[in-house]
Amino acid sequence: MSFFVDSFIAAGRLVWALDPELLTIVQVSMTVSCLATVLAALTGIPAGFAIAQGRFAGKRIVITLLNTLLALPTVVIGLFVYVFISRRGIFGPLDLLYTQKAMVIGQFILILPLIMALTIAAVSRVDERYRTTALTLGANGWQTGLVVLREARFAIVAAVISAFGRVISEIGISMMLGGNIKGFTRTMTTAMALEYDKGSFTLAVALGLVLMAISLGVNVLFNLVQGRSGR
Amino acid sequence: MILYALRDIVQRYNGRTVLDIDHLTIETGRIHALLGANGAGKSTLLRVLAFLEEPARGTVFFSGAPVEYSPTRQLALRRRVVLIDQHPIMFSTTVAKNIEFGLTIRKIDQETRRRTIDQALAMVGLSRYRQTRAHELSGGETQRLALARGLALAPEVLLCDEPTASVDAENQVIIADLLRRINAELGTTIVFTSHDRIQAATLAHHTLVLAGGRLIDTGADNVFACMALPQPDGSLLYRLAGNLDIRVNDGQRPPPGPATSGHIAIDPWQIDLQWPASACGDGPGKPLAGTVTAILAEGGHIRVEINIGVLLVVRLRGDVYRLLLPAVGESMLVRPAAAGCSFHPS
Repeated sequence: MSFFVDSFIAAGRLVWALDPELLTIVQVSMTVSCLATVLAALTGIPAGFAIAQGRFAGKRIVITLLNTLLALPTVVIGLFVYVFISRRGIFGPLDLLYTQKAMVIGQFILILPLIMALTIAAVSRVDERYRTTALTLGANGWQTGLVVLREARFAIVAAVISAFGRVISEIGISMMLGGNIKGFTRTMTTAMALEYDKGSFTLAVALGLVLMAISLGVNVLFNLVQGRSGR
Repeated sequence: MILYALRDIVQRYNGRTVLDIDHLTIETGRIHALLGANGAGKSTLLRVLAFLEEPARGTVFFSGAPVEYSPTRQLALRRRVVLIDQHPIMFSTTVAKNIEFGLTIRKIDQETRRRTIDQALAMVGLSRYRQTRAHELSGGETQRLALARGLALAPEVLLCDEPTASVDAENQVIIADLLRRINAELGTTIVFTSHDRIQAATLAHHTLVLAGGRLIDTGADNVFACMALPQPDGSLLYRLAGNLDIRVNDGQRPPPGPATSGHIAIDPWQIDLQWPASACGDGPGKPLAGTVTAILAEGGHIRVEINIGVLLVVRLRGDVYRLLLPAVGESMLVRPAAAGCSFHPS
């Protein structure tokens, strides 16, 4: 038990002292996950909105497919992207494997269905009267769409926040596509796994503390957004 | 002047006909009441009039020109008409921003927008709520804000779906008064739907009655679902809900036919009203007994409402009223004239 307490105290010191290695790892994690989240939001929100508002054959199938993709394990995505970007893959010449870009691609694929599915749910829940009200007040198709999107904004922001929570804490994609290269692609989760393997708990616990603080921050933000939408 | 003319309009939802109107005109600058039970097609008609949906068949003429249902043409027409929902929904922002929406998309400059918002809020008496979040308003205030939001756009037509159905008595009076003022001061044509015949009679210049998606008889108050049962003696028996029988006899023997269901419309001017003591046995049809529930001055004549199992409206000229002097709570006899009864099979 004292071993655990010692690790904890040492970890606290590392965080307190802003250890450079710790900071680099946190920075890589944040850069990759933020970029993946922003890209997925920029594509997933319009795509989800278009699906929710559109009337086309196979809409239910698309939604079912997206919901199925929500449960996709990260290692499957890692493997899938690896096939394309490894030296023998069709994108091999781009030299993407074991780079932050590869991790962003993988994480983007991981959360795109999540953002789309949650956007569809959010937009579908918006009262139909918002659309007719906008129309009767003289809005054109685009302006009406923006009204609906605006009314769904809190739920959509919540979707983006939960997507970020998913990528910041995933390990499969970071490990398989990033390769856990120190200073370049080592993220909080891959570093923790490595330190655990080495039996060195100090840095692992310190990273765990930071990850939990970020998760807490994200959840506080999530609750704030939900609280506003519920008002 | 005729603003709307509808010709052979049919609207269907999932194969079910909800609206079937051969001919309907709406005059410029008048208040029109649209009466009918739930599911009679009132809201659908309003949506057609608001250019929110294209009828499955038929032509709508607006300001003399047939309406084309292309997105750009529809948008131009929608900007001349505002529909206010029975339960208006407010954008999740402030009261002022709700009104501003329609003005902003019309690219109206900021100063004019501000002035228009102030005027619209003053008209509906909500100026003090300018910066309040719209969702914090009460039902009646929301209904008034919806009116202000529509008014700010200076529409030619204001279409109101049950404007007073879901507000308290105080707001009902305020809203009815507002509609009257909007019509009188701004000359806006108003079409509103209602269940309330008295409100329709006191507020509207014209009353339209819808039943089962069909226009019954413009101006008729007494429209009831019934079965028409031809009798062997040549009279016609209309059996209303609750087995209330109205028998009329126009002296002509109709060919005996099967019973048909539909709606009967009884012209309120063609109902004979009598005190029981002075009732004479002659005259066509059988008199029905009822209790007088309301007497109202309506324009230049008197409207008497009698509960005979359904609420029957009888209209009397002033001189006839003074001779007869009906009184609320008293039992009287009514005898609809055959010529005043029209049957519309469904």
